[in-house]
Amino acid sequence: MSRAATIGRSAAIRPTRRIWRLSKRATLHLILIAGSLLMLTPFIWALSTSLKAAKDVFDPHGGVIPNPISFDAFHSVFTEIAFPLYFLNSVTVTVLIVGFNVIFDTAAAYAFAKLNFPGRDVIFGVLLVTLMIPSQVNLIPLYRIMVALHDMIPWLGVNTLSGIVLPSMVQVFGIFLLRQFFATIPDEVIEAGRLDGAGEWRILWRIVLPIAAPAIATLMIFVFLNAWNDFLWPLLVSNSDANRTLPVGLTLLSRKNTVNWPETMAGSVVTILPMIVIFLILQRRFIEGIAAGSVK
Amino acid sequence: MIAPAVIILGLLTFWPMALSFVWSFTKYTGLGDPQWVGFQNYLDLLGDPLFHQAALNTAFFAVTTMAVGPALGLATAILLNRKMRGRAFYRAAFFLPVTTALVAVAAVWKLLLNDGGIVNQALGLFGITGHQWLADPNTALPAIAIASIWQGFGFEMVVFLAALQGLPPDLLEAASIDGAGPFRRFWHVVLPYLRPTFVFVYVIGLIGAFQVFDQVYVMTQGGPINSTLTVVYYLINRFRALDLGQASAIAYLLVAVLAGLSYLQVRLARKWS
Repeated sequence: MSRAATIGRSAAIRPTRRIWRLSKRATLHLILIAGSLLMLTPFIWALSTSLKAAKDVFDPHGGVIPNPISFDAFHSVFTEIAFPLYFLNSVTVTVLIVGFNVIFDTAAAYAFAKLNFPGRDVIFGVLLVTLMIPSQVNLIPLYRIMVALHDMIPWLGVNTLSGIVLPSMVQVFGIFLLRQFFATIPDEVIEAGRLDGAGEWRILWRIVLPIAAPAIATLMIFVFLNAWNDFLWPLLVSNSDANRTLPVGLTLLSRKNTVNWPETMAGSVVTILPMIVIFLILQRRFIEGIAAGSVK
Repeated sequence: MIAPAVIILGLLTFWPMALSFVWSFTKYTGLGDPQWVGFQNYLDLLGDPLFHQAALNTAFFAVTTMAVGPALGLATAILLNRKMRGRAFYRAAFFLPVTTALVAVAAVWKLLLNDGGIVNQALGLFGITGHQWLADPNTALPAIAIASIWQGFGFEMVVFLAALQGLPPDLLEAASIDGAGPFRRFWHVVLPYLRPTFVFVYVIGLIGAFQVFDQVYVMTQGGPINSTLTVVYYLINRFRALDLGQASAIAYLLVAVLAGLSYLQVRLARKWS
């Protein structure tokens, strides 16, 4: 075979192979773009509906971009309906729950990982069992406890924000997650602190926490996500606008027999959007955190 | 240092857990004292057709979401498990619904599935007549399941992606050298490698699926004709009817089923490995 023929043949093969590879890639992207579109359509439609006039919601020729764009729904959600209050309540509750968990879960996890005390492993084992038990088991007695607490101390318990916060101040999952991480910190580091005469709280604060920052960020994301989106317990324990969170307030709109769709979607957008913004900013942390929580 | 955590968990987790266990053997309205009735609450539930329906509905929901969700999650994870342009965007798009409140998602899907909503409009483009999905007892629960799968499978995708990234490349290479095609490599190398991940996904997923409540509360309120009544929805109904004893019994039946299922899965996983 002449050299020219060989070159000619390989040149003929190379483009077909490249076309094959390109078309494979294109198919992959096509599938993924279609999939992403399916995933995002509900969000886009919610936003679009929240900016429509009520009469245009089910107009088959209405399209995605509202015409005219109407801010009436957002206006009434923020003035006639107590969404600013729900929003403030959600922020308060979430910040408090995240803060308490960082303090209490971290301290407990440190003790379980690095301190020796009698019954340590037994107590930890008992705590782990609760991870498998659905929270609904606690709801009813917890409600009665919150009623009793409210009778004793009027600003605590049922129908106050503390009623939502108190049962979530400590989470076994958080203790478990952090303990796994603390166990990887070498004992020598902590011993060095002890030799310097530092107390355990000081060691935790000055030595362990800086090393554990990524793990604590993961904990905060988990707790934040659950606290912001939590529904059943806040629904049971709050009976007035003064202490309803966004998800609870939103269901007052979405469960009506004749739903005002623009208002309900405006409420949904207000509930969903803060979480989406935070997710997009902390995307890698979110996804790595979820992955880390699952692998360990 | 564990004192604060142990005291709070003791008072607000373990104490209520014990209380509801005791109450599950009583008649209790929340006023006066609980009256001991032995196993009556449990026996009543086992003979209660409405509870049977709630249990069946919940099982249907758990089976459908757990049959489709992890499969979709694994499929997207495999598609995304390579260097490619736009990977971060795709991953974010699939994961986004996981971060959002279930009640908000449920409200949005209630709109999409409405008589004149875009699901029916889209079907109309293909000449398929619309349907009142949430008003028909045959389609209401499947519709809720589909919305829940959409909301949740991004979680499974991320978990599978993390696991796949730990897959040693030599394993796949060795299989290629032995002449295994993509399908056989997937079946004989990738799937066995992912077994612990599957156990994790199913244990977590089933515990979640059996507690389904938020979506039902918003989309159908248990109707039409109890076709979407779930176990937790029924529990809350009994609680609101001030039948705290029976509500507690439902909670402990749920615990028993979940403990049994989790145990079974861990045992099966051990047997296969």
